[in-house]
Amino acid sequence: MLKDLYDFKKDLAKRGIFFCLSGPISQNLVAEIATTLEQKMNLEETSKSTVLRVFSTVVENAQNIMRYSDEKEDELSLGIIAVGYEDSHYFVLCGNNIEKRKVEIIRSKLSELHNKDNKSLKKLYRERLRQGPPKESKGGAGLGFIEMAKKASKPIEFDFKKLNEEFSFFSMKTVI
Amino acid sequence: MDNLIIEATKYTPEISFDCNKNLLKIKGKSYPENTSVFYKPVFDWLRKYLGQDEKKDVTVNIDLIYFNSSSSKILMDFCDILDEAASDGKPISVNWIYEEDDEDAFEFGEEFQEDLEFVTFNLVRKAVE
Repeated sequence: MLKDLYDFKKDLAKRGIFFCLSGPISQNLVAEIATTLEQKMNLEETSKSTVLRVFSTVVENAQNIMRYSDEKEDELSLGIIAVGYEDSHYFVLCGNNIEKRKVEIIRSKLSELHNKDNKSLKKLYRERLRQGPPKESKGGAGLGFIEMAKKASKPIEFDFKKLNEEFSFFSMKTVI
Repeated sequence: MDNLIIEATKYTPEISFDCNKNLLKIKGKSYPENTSVFYKPVFDWLRKYLGQDEKKDVTVNIDLIYFNSSSSKILMDFCDILDEAASDGKPISVNWIYEEDDEDAFEFGEEFQEDLEFVTFNLVRKAVE
């Protein structure tokens, strides 16, 4: 295990990943992660818009884990979040366990956004903003996926991996 | 009534609502875990303040570097309340302050500007600090 740690780090680097967290995520942690990544990107002289888009995508993803992950330890929600850079773009990876029944709900939400251009996404965002949050939103506005799709430079990629009869692992990649 | 002052944290903005100067400021970042909990005292204060029978000019500065999607819903509700008060004859100006190279914040401001009928809604560009 100890000897593998460097290989693990190298493997992340090979994938362009410069930040990764797997485990419980809390609001304080989200704020620290987002602020630290902001500092790092500012050092790299990334444009303001890009910094804020990555910041936003990290926050929306992390808060999705907090609200919707079905892997819980008491009040804490568990998931994995990674941020990297490849082909001149930042990307954010996010994953967490979900109950099997949610697979189709999430799939349909993300599929709906898949073929929309930026103009249609903005229109949809405004409509949803006016409609108010859906029942299952848990303190959010039900706008997170649309927000991320708006910030992304290409459609959000997503996947579901069946874990057992009860749970699947949901993962998504947003390229800024 | 008293002024409403809430200090900023890493993920909540500074709230500085001054009922003597009729100047309401929101400044910083907004991505609390539960937006409605954080903003409840803000809305309570606003409703009470706007319920007063005065016609003085009110200035609202919204100076948010970043807000998450659930905060955008709160901001819309906030602006709607202001617009309703303005439709009753209260003179209200909203300054939507955005950093010069932040296109997304500018676009958000433009959309709010289109949606609001009665408040004077200004898009104010500021240099990056």
